[in-house]
Amino acid sequence: MIDVALASLIEDMIEKAGAEGVVEFWQRVGDNLASRMGKEAYLGWTSFNVAIREARTAFSIEGEVTPLTDMAITDVDGDVVGYLYAMRQCCYIPTIFRTRFAVGRISPADKAVTDEYNENVHNIAVCNFCVFHERFREEIAKNVSVAGNSLACFLLATRGWSGETKISSKNVAQVNINEDHVRALLRNYECVYALVLRGARLKGER
Amino acid sequence: MQDSNPFVDIATHLFLEDLAGKVGVAGLNNYLVSLARNLAEAMPREEYASWSEFLAALRDGQSILSTFEEVRPVTDRCMSTLRSPFERGWREYAKRVGSFAPVHREVAAYYNHKVRPTAVTSVHIVLHTFREAAAARVRVGDAPVRYEPVAAAWVDGEVQLPDGPKLESLLKRAGISPTKLGMLLRNHSEVWLLEPA
Repeated sequence: MIDVALASLIEDMIEKAGAEGVVEFWQRVGDNLASRMGKEAYLGWTSFNVAIREARTAFSIEGEVTPLTDMAITDVDGDVVGYLYAMRQCCYIPTIFRTRFAVGRISPADKAVTDEYNENVHNIAVCNFCVFHERFREEIAKNVSVAGNSLACFLLATRGWSGETKISSKNVAQVNINEDHVRALLRNYECVYALVLRGARLKGER
Repeated sequence: MQDSNPFVDIATHLFLEDLAGKVGVAGLNNYLVSLARNLAEAMPREEYASWSEFLAALRDGQSILSTFEEVRPVTDRCMSTLRSPFERGWREYAKRVGSFAPVHREVAAYYNHKVRPTAVTSVHIVLHTFREAAAARVRVGDAPVRYEPVAAAWVDGEVQLPDGPKLESLLKRAGISPTKLGMLLRNHSEVWLLEPA
């Protein structure tokens, strides 16, 4: 029930600190949670992707993550430096449905925080939880190393409970993935992100 | 109702920990009480013609008081909850993050001292306040319903009970003996009282 009650807490905090204050707060919570989860190291992409499938990595705290191993990201030399990952269901969807059945309507605080983030930080959020979630993944990625290199995370696309989709043109271009491929993934998945070796010279990067 | 993703519960606990760093234990207690009251007040009111109709709604998960937990009436007045609605989140937190931050116990100690001695951890403040505010939104016949916690047992086995005379009075109103309470606490997370106000 604490998940449904969270909306009331956010309403309270918007009154005190404004939507921008809640965005900063959520981002700090993302930093804190990531810092408490410790470091991980994997020999290579194969062992990392197996760990993702078996829900052994810090990313697995979010729920079921699918490594899209047919969608590799390559560097200028053609070496694989990352992959796309996707979640069939957004972590916050069960809470939205629980709120619908327990309370009856989604709090306007959710939209206020989402809009604030989309307008001033990164136009990718479909609910207030995306604010925390994007920062959490970015910080977690720094603590995970594959073949001795730490990772960087790029949130590429999201689909909200009402069907609204968001694609980050900036991040899609950064990892050199065709936007149409990402859009097609949103038919089956609600959250798509890329993990790449930090500092890799990506193909097509200028 | 569909279960929540425990990640959202974990994030909320971290949110509360960060908040406590800013407003202190007393401030966190106020936030928890306020969020639980707001949640109950956002939910629809209820009315029942008789106490037995109300008990059936509780048992079937149709009442505001059984929205987030499976309620098993033990007597007409004594209710029990098999599993705490916070247990999954707590287990996932312990598995993925580590031990709970001390502030969750500290705020419970504050609540026990200031309000009533029935919280083991921060989530019990939410649960007790929510049930109290939710019960006030229910009318059976012409009377509103009053809630009082009897005992809470946390996932780690710690039990929080009121002191002797207060407990005796609660058990008498609930219609159960101290032995029955002990039996319930072996495999239930909460025992509580509902009565006409």
